[in-house]
Amino acid sequence: MRKYTLPILLALLGPTLASAAPNPKLAMPEFSGLAQKASESVTITLDPTLLSMAGRFLDSNDPQDAATKEIIKGLRGIYVRSYTFDKDAEYAQSDIDAVRSQLSAPGWNRLVETHSRKTHANVDIYIMIDHEQAVGLALIASEPRQFTIVNIIGAIDLDKLHKLEGQFGVPKLDIDGSKTTGQEPRK
Amino acid sequence: MNDAACDLLDEYLAKARSGERAALASLVRAHQRSVYSLALRMLGTRDLAEDLTQDVFMQLNGNLGAIESNRHLGFWLRQVTTNRAIDQLRRRSRVQLTSLDEEQELFSAEDGADPLLQRHLRELLSDLSPQARAVLLLRYQEDLDPMDIARTLDMPINTVKSLLKRSLETMREKTGGLTLRCEDQPT
Amino acid sequence: MNQDIESGLRSALRPVAPSEEFSEQLLARVAAHPPARPKSYGLMPRSARPLAWWLATTLAACLVLAVGVQRHLEQQRLQQSGLEARREVLQALRVTSQKLNLAYEAVKSESTSLADEKPGI
Repeated sequence: MRKYTLPILLALLGPTLASAAPNPKLAMPEFSGLAQKASESVTITLDPTLLSMAGRFLDSNDPQDAATKEIIKGLRGIYVRSYTFDKDAEYAQSDIDAVRSQLSAPGWNRLVETHSRKTHANVDIYIMIDHEQAVGLALIASEPRQFTIVNIIGAIDLDKLHKLEGQFGVPKLDIDGSKTTGQEPRK
Repeated sequence: MNDAACDLLDEYLAKARSGERAALASLVRAHQRSVYSLALRMLGTRDLAEDLTQDVFMQLNGNLGAIESNRHLGFWLRQVTTNRAIDQLRRRSRVQLTSLDEEQELFSAEDGADPLLQRHLRELLSDLSPQARAVLLLRYQEDLDPMDIARTLDMPINTVKSLLKRSLETMREKTGGLTLRCEDQPT
Repeated sequence: MNQDIESGLRSALRPVAPSEEFSEQLLARVAAHPPARPKSYGLMPRSARPLAWWLATTLAACLVLAVGVQRHLEQQRLQQSGLEARREVLQALRVTSQKLNLAYEAVKSESTSLADEKPGI
């Protein structure tokens, strides 16, 4: 009976003992206080089971569903936290910093850092590469009355993201997965 | 729990279903902390928790054939434990915690744990309805997301979210002004 | 503060182990009580057999019906979950695309400004 305990312990401790592969999954804070203040909030947690289940309910005959099905095929998780407020400055940058700080961990590469003078929106896009393949995407968008964090786990295909054009209103992106585009310095 | 541990427990389950008692014992060892903790925090006393834990595993003993995987086993144990605890609580009045030893056992005794927070948590748990208590425990002890909680308790997901939100609001009121220890917790 | 509360809850609600004594008693009890086997029909007195047969058949029919109803309800629940998951996937990708669009607009706007400042390029 006891002889099974050690293998179980070793199996459970395995991840901490072995050398860690980069982990594209971000630890998301609860943001409960912000959810209370927000006029709208979006909290989406889709693990592999739910993604698989969703895939079965996407209609291949519908163009939007079909495109979505293609995109989620290689994915293992989609996590979204988005909060919209009625007034400016209802959230602090420190609220997002707990997530942002994780993106300086090994494995993450900043793909794009943008600031819009017109909308005062900052959008940072990070990608995690493992063995020359994109395995994770993180997006942090902060605007005066809204912030959004998106974390996508799995084989991100930027080409397929491009093909979202027309499906969700996304124009074709000139984003090369291997270098950062030019941007104005953030104020 | 990582894949290797899950595979091992699946193997034990298969053996237990064919009558191997050592494998059944391993499964009991692997899951008894979770079941006991749920029972203890639902019912409030060690005696009642031990009785319920024993009943749950005896019931498992007679239902092994219906369990398909270790993951299913975890789901089944949580569901049976919480449902039976809720039934018990409904049949009697508010749970009273009788001894300091048992109070301390209800919550994990970590070095540096805030005793004031512990007391407030105890009051909060005993004040909650059985269903709300179950939702809170499944969320913060078992780390289930709202959809899984809804499935476990056979409850609409909006009800789960509403119970979580209200429980946290109550907690905020009762702990307002306390200095709390902050830890980063992975989601 | 709210993050502290939830972190505090997770910390305080980590599973606790039962006493070693209880654990051993539990294992012993589980090991000592194998699953109950159904009684052999052949050991019943003759006079009770037709009634028992009727009862068993009725019970079996009720069981089949109950299982059927349960499966139907389970299917409905699964369908509901699946549709909810589909809705969430579409919403997640919609939100992602909106934010990608923001980035695109910012980059495009910057490129346009640079082109205006340096007409030769």
